[in-house]
This record gives sequence, structure tokens and C-alpha cells, in this order.
Amino acid sequence: MLLTTLTLLTLAAPPDGKELLAKYDAFMSPPNFKATALMTAHRDDGTTRSYKMTIVKAGADRNRIWFHEPAAVRGQEILRNGDNSWVYMPNLKRAMRLASRDSFQGGDFNNADVLRTNYVHDYEVTVGEDPAKLDTWVLELKAKTAEAAYERIKLWVGRSPAGMPVRGEYYTASGKMLRSAAFSDVKDFGNGWTRPAKVSMRNELATQRHSDMVFESADPTVVTPDNRFTMSDLGR
Amino acid sequence: MPALLAIATRNVFRNRRRTFITAAALVVGIFAVVSIRGVLNGLQGAIIASTVKGMTGGFQVHRAGYLANVLSPPLTLDFALDDPSLAGLAKLPGVTAVAPRIMFGGSLSVPKEKEEDTPEPLFFMATAVDPTLEPQVCPDRAGLMSAGSRFDEAHLLVGEAMLGTLDAKLGDEAVLLAPDRDGALNGELSHVGGALKSVMPGELKVAQVPLAAAQRLLRMEGRATELAVAVKDLAQVPSLVAQARALLGPTYEVHAWDDVATDRRTFMQRQNAISALVSVVFLLLMLLGVANTMLMSVLERTREVGTMMAVGVTRAQVLLLFLLEALSLGVVGVAGGLALGTTFVAALGAKGLTVTPPSATVALTLYPSSSPAFLVVVAALALLGCAVFSLYPALRASRLRPVEALAGR
Repeated sequence: MLLTTLTLLTLAAPPDGKELLAKYDAFMSPPNFKATALMTAHRDDGTTRSYKMTIVKAGADRNRIWFHEPAAVRGQEILRNGDNSWVYMPNLKRAMRLASRDSFQGGDFNNADVLRTNYVHDYEVTVGEDPAKLDTWVLELKAKTAEAAYERIKLWVGRSPAGMPVRGEYYTASGKMLRSAAFSDVKDFGNGWTRPAKVSMRNELATQRHSDMVFESADPTVVTPDNRFTMSDLGR
Repeated sequence: MPALLAIATRNVFRNRRRTFITAAALVVGIFAVVSIRGVLNGLQGAIIASTVKGMTGGFQVHRAGYLANVLSPPLTLDFALDDPSLAGLAKLPGVTAVAPRIMFGGSLSVPKEKEEDTPEPLFFMATAVDPTLEPQVCPDRAGLMSAGSRFDEAHLLVGEAMLGTLDAKLGDEAVLLAPDRDGALNGELSHVGGALKSVMPGELKVAQVPLAAAQRLLRMEGRATELAVAVKDLAQVPSLVAQARALLGPTYEVHAWDDVATDRRTFMQRQNAISALVSVVFLLLMLLGVANTMLMSVLERTREVGTMMAVGVTRAQVLLLFLLEALSLGVVGVAGGLALGTTFVAALGAKGLTVTPPSATVALTLYPSSSPAFLVVVAALALLGCAVFSLYPALRASRLRPVEALAGR
């Protein structure tokens, strides 16, 4: 009897928030990876623009992106190292600082959505339930650094497998929803990495706009050397 | 009736001191109303001139739907400058110049020696203008440049506050980053040419960029989002707007300057409402003075009215007499007030008033003026008011019973 009660309690009690968020982070971006992705921005006027890129990551806070298509952005690169990000413009042959909250290539992701994917480092977390979605846990995130992408985030993550991203809502400090994301097409990319291949980010301020980021291939075994995360390496 | 008028005027001057005081109140009131409106006319003239010659031109042409986009100026609602239908615009009689522009948002950074020291770019709203065509449409724009500034193909201007934040000096390299017409990020190199002074408060993160550089940055070579059109005479704007609409057809929209600078129009409408309210209060105060004078006059002259009625003057004639007395008093006061007010306004107008609005860095010179229509309305209202406000005393006089009035009761 006592044993059954205990089991039931453990079943109903939410798991540790930080652990769950760490699992979310691991699904979204393992410590090291190399991936090719396609971002498609659906614009107000009904037209779309697609950007093809290679993304690499090393450790918790270093990323690099090379843009391949369309021709207008070919040769552009983005480097994130710690709290600083730069964009390299091939026509000017120089790198400019990027603000984390600026739009990523005119789409509905901001730079931090793509570059600062380790939420455990940036946010305090509490766990709750959504009666409408009992197969998920709801993580309420509050920014603890000024560089975090948003003041508040509400994340719905799966219970099994625990931490699998389902939906995100991104808010200002005053509680205004800026964007919402749907995570879908969970795919096994091999070498033990399964993640939603598609993230669809909707602009809640201009609701006729949204952008999709689709991971086409991804490999968590690629370890990129340190020298690729320096400014002197940009443009090479 | 003429006899009654003669008697009325004579009566008014029977008690000179009282007439003088009441007329003086009228003169002061009308003077104040005319002067306030005159200075306001000067201020609004200056606002209109600075708007038209410094910002909007007489009217503007955009792609249809452009101004309705309140969130951000859309680059996709643009047009090719060699569109043949635009060629007729410059040939409309009364149009003196046409200048293409692009409004866009982007970020600006001024790189330091070491790239690591360069601060995050600042977001700004920019107006891209052609350095040679723009002065023909908005000559006052040059007045917004701080001393020693240059604006040409290789130099841009940024708002004063922004220049300070960027810690930039004249001649420093400035890198513009902006999403192009398709949304793809692009960069363009320019140089800091100087600062833009702010006319109205709140204009902080603004920049003026040479058109060709903006066209490269936004990948919009040969295109623009706006045409600013200068006109010879502002009074012609409504008819030119109609002609331009007919010429350009439904793919373009044409707006007069005050439909573009709606905030300034609202500001001026608010000024008008406040000044109208103040004028009405002034008029009411003067007219209460007139009513008081007339009532005193009736009470004092009860026996006189009784005598008049006893010798056959009708009630209507008594009523009319007192109304005419109030009106002649009004005419004296209004004429004096108008003369004094218009002279004062004309003197200010000839000299010009220089004021610097709070938190703006550009001084405005006002040329106060009086508009005849306004003077007519003020005079008519004041005289009508004199008649209305003396109605009660006059009615009271006309209702007296001769026998009682003769007894002084």
C-alpha cells in the first residue's frame, strides 16, 4: 500500500526543472556538432526567402555559421564566442558586432535563438503542468543574464522522452508575447542525436510572418578546433 | 431709426468715465485675442515652413499602401525611378523639383582600432536622400546639419545624441548593416560626416544617408520608396495632389505634406483649439462687463425711460435704444482693440520673433501675422455678444410701467 502511494507520488511529482532544461538543451544542441540547416522566412507579403547555412558548435558558448545561399548572403559568417557575436561581411572584408536580440537574416528568429541555445546557463527555471497538455511539462524560464535572448520563456517539453521540445513562447519583461515556436519532425540524425528537425517561429507582433529552421543533416561527433572561433579566422 | 441711433450714441457718451472703462475692457480683450492668434499664426507658419522645406516637400509620392504600413517602412513597396509614369511629375506646372528617397531601418557601428573594442551597433531609422537633388526640395535640411558637417556620396549624418553614444568623430569610418529589400543582411561602408540637430523632441536615433550608398546597402539600385516634390506655392498643393493622382494612377499614392506630417498637423490643431478656448474666455469676460454697464445704465435711468414712454416712445423703441447703446459701445471697443492688436502683430511680424522650443536645438524665427477672416469673426462675435449680453437690461427697461417708472420705482 505504502509502496503504491509512493510510486503514484513520484509519477505525479514533476522532475527537477534544471535537469529537465539540461535535457532540453541536449536535444537542441549537444556540446559539439556540425549541421546544415535551411531557414525559410515567410514574409508579410506572402513571399518566402530561404537561407542555407552550415552551423558548428563547440562547448557551451562558441558557434560559427557560414551562409551558402542565396547569393546575396554567400560568404557571410557569424561567430559567437562567449557573450560576443560578430557578423563578417565579405564585401566589406570586416566583422561587425551583432546584437543578440536583432533579427537573424531578416527572419523571425533573433540571433540568440540560433546562437545562444544553452538555456541552463541563461535562465532560472521552475516546472509546472499544463492541464491541456498532460503529456508535457511546462518550464517557466526567467533570464538571469542581460545577454539572454528573452526576459521570460515558457517551454513545453515532452515527458517521454523527458525534455523533448514541443512548444515555446517568448515574452518581454512586461509579459508581452513576442514570438512562439513549434518544434516538430523529431528525427534521429545518427550518432545518438535525436532532435526536432523543424522549428517554426511565429512572430506574434506581425502574425502573418513566420520562419522555419530545418536541420537537414547534423553530426554531434564533429569537434571543431579552437582556432575556428577567433575573429582572425573569419573570412577564411 | 437714425434718430434712435443718434440718441443711443449720445447716451453712451453721457457717462464718459464708465464708457471709457467698459470700452477699455473691450479693447484689452480684443487686443489679447488678436495678439495671441497673431503669434500663433507666426508659430504655425514657421512649423509649416520647417516641415515643408526641411522634411516633407509640398507633397509626396509612394507606392499605394505605403503610408498605411505603420509598423515599419516596407522596402518592398518601392518603385523604379525610371518608371515612365513618374516622368510627368516634374513637368506639372507649379512643381519646382522632385527628389527620390528611401526610408529604412538598420544599425550603425563606428569601428575602433581593435575590432574587440567596437561597441554593439546602434539601431537607427534613416532617410536616404540624394545629396544634389534633396536641397532643391528641402533647402532647410542643410540647416539641421551641425557646423562643419559634410553630406555627400561618402559621408552620412547621424543624430547628435547618437553621435555621442557611438563616440564617433567626423571622418570616422561608419559601417551600415541592414536587411536588404529581400530581408538578407547586407553591409555598406561610409564615413561620419557630422551631426543632425533635432527640431522636435524625441528625434534621437536618426541618420541621413546618401541615396546611392543606401541603394547598394538595400540592393535597390535605381529604386526608391518615396518622391518628395517641391511646389512653387503651398496653396496649389491640393490641386497638384489631384493632378499627380490622375497622372500616376492606382499603383501610386499621393499625399499632401500635412497628410504625411500628421503629428505636426495634430499639434497645430491642438494649438488652435486651445487658442480658441482662451479667446472665448476673454470675450465672455469683456461681455460680462458690457452687461454690467448696461444694467447699471438702465437702473439709473428708470425715470428717464418712464418719461420717454409717457411721451409716446414704444416699448420696442426702448428695447432697440438700449441695444444700440450696447452696440455703439461695442463698436468703439472692438475698433480700438482691432487697431491696437493688428498694429502690435504687424510690428512683431516686421521684426520677427526668435524662439528655441524646449529640447530642440534649432531656433525658430516667427513672423506673427493677422488673417482678415479671423479679425472679421472676432469683431462679429464681439458685437453679437454685446447685443446678446445687453438683451436682459434692455428687456428690463422696455418692460417698465410708465407710471411706476416716473415715480422712480
